[in-house]
Amino acid sequence: MSWIMVWGGIGHTFLSVIRALLPLLVLFIIFQFLVLKLPRSYVLNLLKGVLLAIVGLALFLQGVGIGFFPAGQYMGETLGAIRAQWLLVPFGLMMGFLATWGEPAVRILGSQIEEASGGSVRKNVVVYAISGGVALFVALGMARIVYGIPLLWIIIPGYLLAIAMLRFSDKRVIAIAFDAGGVATGPMVVTFVLAIAVGIAAAIEGRDPILDGFGLISLVALAPILTIMVLGLILRARLRRKEK
Amino acid sequence: MLSAILPLVLAVVILQFAVIRMPSQVFLQFIIGAAMVIGGMVLFLSGVEIGILPMGKALGAELPRRNSLLLVIGIAFMVGFAATVAEPDVIVLTRQVDEVSRGAIAENVLIYAIALGVGLFVTMAMLRILLNINIAYLLAAGYAIIIVLAFFAPPEFVPVAFDSGGVTTGPMAVPIILSLGLGFSSVLAGRSAMSDGFGLIGLASIGPVIAVMILGMVLS
Repeated sequence: MSWIMVWGGIGHTFLSVIRALLPLLVLFIIFQFLVLKLPRSYVLNLLKGVLLAIVGLALFLQGVGIGFFPAGQYMGETLGAIRAQWLLVPFGLMMGFLATWGEPAVRILGSQIEEASGGSVRKNVVVYAISGGVALFVALGMARIVYGIPLLWIIIPGYLLAIAMLRFSDKRVIAIAFDAGGVATGPMVVTFVLAIAVGIAAAIEGRDPILDGFGLISLVALAPILTIMVLGLILRARLRRKEK
Repeated sequence: MLSAILPLVLAVVILQFAVIRMPSQVFLQFIIGAAMVIGGMVLFLSGVEIGILPMGKALGAELPRRNSLLLVIGIAFMVGFAATVAEPDVIVLTRQVDEVSRGAIAENVLIYAIALGVGLFVTMAMLRILLNINIAYLLAAGYAIIIVLAFFAPPEFVPVAFDSGGVTTGPMAVPIILSLGLGFSSVLAGRSAMSDGFGLIGLASIGPVIAVMILGMVLS
């Protein structure tokens, strides 16, 4: 099966990984000699970890390059060519839900919120609320590509809604909500789902992959922010009612 | 890691046999690639745990010990910058942008613009903890700037700019930036690590959006 390309360009991948980790390494080494002066055996251990990270990152990027990009683009181009294009919207709903529901970061956040709220917000509620929110926004993102809606028409009202809710939310809810923007933008969304979106935008006539294909990640990042702020407001309203 | 990737891989396998039918070469490479992604992530994350996080913590713990504001600002900026350059999500996004735009928005330029944005906003977040500014004001101001800039930046940069804000919050940058902030606020008197240390990531993901939009305005 020599036609399967697995290790092509691995040298290039390694170079870019080393270049990526170099600034952090240089920064640490300078500080190590000038200020930190940690024991040598400890530093050697750290360097072993860095080596592991370099190999892992190279393997990850290579897998994305040979597997996720071509398959995502092919799927996108096939899906973009189907006649019933509205089908892409429920397809986005499914992809968005699946990509988020399994994400470990979302589950960790769920447990943190359950703990911080003294158990009044259950972990599963958080996981399903965020997965549902992301699913909705990926579906919106697909509708945007199919019908050629500019990204700003969705993202600006979304941000304005978030800013409006800032006024009514607790400081802690705000911090958690905005930090959570990243929980759903895991490796599957950034690599695979984005490649599908770019492929779809390339296949539909009159759509530009740069203008219409990108933007999906920002929608996936916006969804948990809104979801958690809404959850926070609901919780607060409930507490108020109890006090009365 | 497995649970993050498996549901979608299964969905793709089902779709492959039901509707899509990609050429078997593409499909096989997808399966092999998925295994490499999972294995690579496991190795990478343990490497971050063993080697890179302790480095970030060692640097962060140094911050409050020197009583110099300039040093705090300098280190926060450099750590934010260095962590972003090494962030896998950032590398993957910039690569796709480079490819799709056929080099018009080059990978390297975009990475450094994103890293500059994160560095500047991590620095601002540190100053916020120091000066005890309410985070809601900074968030509102940051997003207001983004909304205004979105109307002036060249349209082909806008979606990429918004996506840049989403990818900085990956497995590399988040733990490093968080440990920096938590370490910093825990030593300052009268600050709670809980409500002051958090919010850092939220602020850090505003920076790249602004930076990439400005990059677009400068380039055109």
